[in-house]
Amino acid sequence: MEKQVTARNVWERIFTKLNKRSLWMLHYCTGCGAIELPPTMTARFDMERFGIMPMVTPRQADILLITGYLSLKTLKRVILTYEQMQAPKWVVGFGSCTINGGMYWNSYITIKSLDQYLPVDLYIAGCMPRPEAIIEAFNTLIKRIDEGKADAWKDYYRNYDFYKENQRKVLGEFETYVDIKADAKRFGIV
Amino acid sequence: MSTVLWIILYPFIAFFIGIFFMGYSRKFNARVQRRIGPPIIQPLFDISKLMSKKTNISHGYMHDIAMLMLLGGTLLTLMFIPVPGFHYFSQYGDMLVIMYIILVPPLGMALGVGETANPNGSIGISRALMLLAGYDVPFTLSFIGMAILNHTTSLYKLIQIQQSGGIATWGIVTNPFLAAAALIALQGMMSEKPFEVMIAPHEIATGPMTEMGGKYLGIMFIQHAINIFIELTIFTSLFLGGALNWVELIVKQFIVFTIVLSVNVVFGRYRVDDAVKFMWKIPVPLAIIGILFVIF
Repeated sequence: MEKQVTARNVWERIFTKLNKRSLWMLHYCTGCGAIELPPTMTARFDMERFGIMPMVTPRQADILLITGYLSLKTLKRVILTYEQMQAPKWVVGFGSCTINGGMYWNSYITIKSLDQYLPVDLYIAGCMPRPEAIIEAFNTLIKRIDEGKADAWKDYYRNYDFYKENQRKVLGEFETYVDIKADAKRFGIV
Repeated sequence: MSTVLWIILYPFIAFFIGIFFMGYSRKFNARVQRRIGPPIIQPLFDISKLMSKKTNISHGYMHDIAMLMLLGGTLLTLMFIPVPGFHYFSQYGDMLVIMYIILVPPLGMALGVGETANPNGSIGISRALMLLAGYDVPFTLSFIGMAILNHTTSLYKLIQIQQSGGIATWGIVTNPFLAAAALIALQGMMSEKPFEVMIAPHEIATGPMTEMGGKYLGIMFIQHAINIFIELTIFTSLFLGGALNWVELIVKQFIVFTIVLSVNVVFGRYRVDDAVKFMWKIPVPLAIIGILFVIF
C-alpha cells in the first residue's frame, strides 16, 4: 500500500535531511536475534557510518529495535518503553517472530504479530537476519524518513484506541505512565 | 564595538571548534577499532535531530532551570577565557574566578538530575561530584605552582609571560611536573577513560543524561562542545604558552586532545573510589614536587 505523504515546508525538508543521518537505536533483545547486532556495530559492518548508534535509555532513542519473540510479559515492558521515547520514533521488527510468531507460532504465551500492539515502520524478515540485512533495513528506513513516509509513530497518537484495545485483549487492564491522548493534543500531532 | 561583536561571536566559534573536536573524537575511536566511523560533522546531525524532536518530557521547573544553569554557567566561564583577539573580561576575572564559576554547570546538572528522580541519574551525578573532588585537587595545585612561578593569577598575563621567550618559557618546559599533573587531571576533567565513571553507559545508563531526551540532551551536547573548548584552552594557556593566533591555538588544542584520546581509547574504566585514589596518589604528589621545585 502506497502511503500518503503529507506536505512539508522547506525547513522541515532541510531538517529531515540532517536528522536522518542521526538515528539512535534502543535494542530490546528478548530472543536469540541479539547475537547479530554486535557484528553490525563493530568493525566488520560498522553501522556508525550511517550515524546509527546503540543507546541505552528510551528517552534518548529514536529507533526501537525489537529482536525476536515477544512474550506477554515482555510485550508489556516494550509498550512502557515505547511510550517513554520521544517522537519522532520508529519501531523496527527484527526476525520472523515479530511478523507472524515464527517458530513460536503456536505458543500460548507469545504474541503473533507486533503491529497489532505498536506501530511498526519496518520488518526485517529472516530467522535470523544477517548483519547485511540489518544494514539494508536501516538504509531503507533512512530512505523512507527522507521521503517522509516513515511516520507510523503518528498512527499511535491518531489510532490510540485501536492499539489500546488490542493491548487490553492480551494483557488485561493496565495503565501506562504516559497520557498519549493528552500528549497528542499538547504537541499538536493529531 | 568589536568587543560586543566578539561577545556575540565567541560562543559560536567555541561551539564549532568543540563540535569539530567531538566529531574528531568519534572518528579517532572508530579508526583505532578499525571501523570507518561517522563523518566528522556527525555531532551537528545529532544536535539538529535532538533539537527538532516533536515531543518533550519535563519533570518540573528545576529540570528546566537546570538546563539554563548548565548552559549559562558554561557561557559565563567561556567569557573569562582569553583567546587571540578577545581578552576583554579576563582583565576583570583571573584564573581564580574561572575555577570558581566552572563549578556552576555540574551543580546545575546535579539540581536538574535530582528533580528527575532517576536512580541511575543520581548515581551518575554523585559519581561526577566525587570525581570532581579527585581531579580538582591536582589541577588547583598545578595552577598554584604556575601562579607562584610567574607571580600572577591572570591567565592573560600568564600567556604573555610564556610568549615572551619562545618555547623555553612555556610552562611545560619550566616545570614539567606541574604539566604532567595537570594533564592527568585534564583526563578526569573531560571525563574520558579511565575516568569515565560518571557516564558509564554499561552500568548506569549514561548517568546524568538518563532522563534527558530531545531538547534537554541537545542543550547538554552544546554545553559539552563548549566545555571541551574551555578545558583545552585552559590547559593550553597554562602550560603550552597560549597562542597568538587561532591556527596556533587550534593546533595546540588538537595535540593535547589527541593525547587525551589516545589514553581514552586503550583504557578500561576505574571504579569511582579507585579513580579518586589514583588522582590523589599520582598527580597530587607530582604537583607538590612541582611546587617545591618552584619555591626552592
